[in-house]
Amino acid sequence: MILRRRRPHAFEHDGDRTAIRLGDDERSMLANLAGQFRAVVADDADPDLRRLYPTAYPADPERDADYSELVHDDLVRTRVAAADTVVATASAVSLDADQLAAWMQVLNGLRLLLGTRLDVSEEDEFDPEADDAPTRALLSWLGFLLEEAVVAASADLGDA
Amino acid sequence: MSPTPSPLEVDETGLGHDEVVDADRPWIVLVWNDPINLMSYVSHVFQKLFGYSKAKADRLMLDVHEKGRAVVSNGARENAEMDVFRLHEHGLWATMQRDD
Repeated sequence: MILRRRRPHAFEHDGDRTAIRLGDDERSMLANLAGQFRAVVADDADPDLRRLYPTAYPADPERDADYSELVHDDLVRTRVAAADTVVATASAVSLDADQLAAWMQVLNGLRLLLGTRLDVSEEDEFDPEADDAPTRALLSWLGFLLEEAVVAASADLGDA
Repeated sequence: MSPTPSPLEVDETGLGHDEVVDADRPWIVLVWNDPINLMSYVSHVFQKLFGYSKAKADRLMLDVHEKGRAVVSNGARENAEMDVFRLHEHGLWATMQRDD
């Protein structure tokens, strides 16, 4: 896991809704990424999706196969639906609690997909000269947004 | 970690032998450390899914981070499996096993 530092808020909790404080460029970038995420998840063939579907019973392959058969399609469906929500609300002024949860699911799902692709570790340091620097910067930006979404969503849990 | 159910409770379930063994040894749900998930997000998911206080969720999250894993819930197999599913839905690396 990673500890992140604070920057100005991207989301602002207000009553039972959360205002989105992002510019047009960031919104269209996010809608684009959510659309790509939806396509990869729906296609369900990319091996880098493996972190989104962990093993439930590591010591019991038979039970794990049963579990996977039971839940896999549901997990695909909820992720596709969440990505659709992000695409549909990327230009919105504010989000309700369910929409904010969908944003968090997509932000985290994108991070799991990109982080697996990059094979990141907790010790990694950012190297702006590296070939994968743009993707690592993207991963970092998604982490910033998710961190901000957690702060906003925590107000719903009553601990902010 | 969990009290052993009395034989009466086991009988009332009407389940087969395998499930009685399960009841004697409840299942635990483990969350494992990974290099991608954010600490604040992991704590948030524990609060949201299990209704844990921020203090308890933070403690479990730090256990995951520092010790590599933490037991986040326990109970009958069906309940543990539902917890694992909800953790997977939220992108956490969760597994389950008998408590022994």
